[in-house]
Amino acid sequence: MSSVKIHIPVVRLAKLLRTPGGVPVADAVKRAGAGLESLRAECLDELRVTLDQAELCAGRANGEYDAAVADELYAIASAAIGVPTACGLAPIDTALVSLADLTDYLRTRKTWDANAVAVHLRAFRLLLHTEAGKDANGTKAILEGLRRVSQRYAKSEAPRAAAG
Amino acid sequence: MKDSMGLSPDSRARFNLERASVLILEESTMGMSILVQILTGFGAKVLHRAENVEEAQGLVAKVELDLVVADALGPTGEGYDFVRWLRRSRIEPNCYVPVLLTAGHTPGNAVQKARDCGAHFVMTKPLTPITVLERVLWIAREGRRFVECDNYMGPDRRFKNEGVPAGQVGRRRDDLVGDVGEANEPNMEQDSIDGMLKTRRVTL
Repeated sequence: MSSVKIHIPVVRLAKLLRTPGGVPVADAVKRAGAGLESLRAECLDELRVTLDQAELCAGRANGEYDAAVADELYAIASAAIGVPTACGLAPIDTALVSLADLTDYLRTRKTWDANAVAVHLRAFRLLLHTEAGKDANGTKAILEGLRRVSQRYAKSEAPRAAAG
Repeated sequence: MKDSMGLSPDSRARFNLERASVLILEESTMGMSILVQILTGFGAKVLHRAENVEEAQGLVAKVELDLVVADALGPTGEGYDFVRWLRRSRIEPNCYVPVLLTAGHTPGNAVQKARDCGAHFVMTKPLTPITVLERVLWIAREGRRFVECDNYMGPDRRFKNEGVPAGQVGRRRDDLVGDVGEANEPNMEQDSIDGMLKTRRVTL
């Protein structure tokens, strides 16, 4: 049996956090939020580029499973997660997580579902165009729909992929 | 509204990150900007930015760190490998530094890697200021046990410590046996118990 060493290292961060001065939690959160707000225009530009890249990438699949395309689309979607929330467009993050889930499931199963991918990308464009959340109920319905689509592939039995 | 589990965004409790030396490993420009805005908003002034693992490793060797915020770095999960390297590097005190690992999405085949890399906490994006702060304060807690063995080096993952699983024998030296037995004498004097339950006047 291998040896296990258990000890308690000194955590300098704990001491630093307690040093006099600093900032109240409420002010820190507010300042961080204001800092994120200053990135809004950049974030929106980044999301437009991400969407264009994702559409171009998905278009290369020609309705069939292609490992390189699936990997690239997964990388594009997962890399952008976090950017929408920073610019106040949290629903787009939910859509991106759903797209990343979907492409991860498709990669694992080595299958492709062009309709499922397309509906995610159309939702992404719509949510970006309308700056998500102007119509809260509509946005919620879109996100629930996406979730249902991607989660179909999470189940042990794969649904029949539509090649459309 | 409270949007985190334990820390109120309206709290007036103070904390000080001014002198903390923080390494941020993030390959995406926007991801880096988001973290920088959040951490500078918290008052952090000493930020070391690394866009790839090589830069981060160089900083670990050169600078004493108090906190590492590392991204998983996409589907390859190089960020997990970086944390594993950091723990095994034996570069003290950095190899014990609190690590907050962020991930946009964890693919099914990387879940075990994320769990075993030795990070204090794996946080999924999107990040919000209150959740990041909550996690930073949480991973900075003192007294966390550090485990070093052949296949794992990092903070004790059993931080909840709800005891040894039912029907099993604990592997820790200080794990107690489950069979407590009947009490054969009072644990406290009755006066002490009465004192704790003494009625006090309160204003409602």
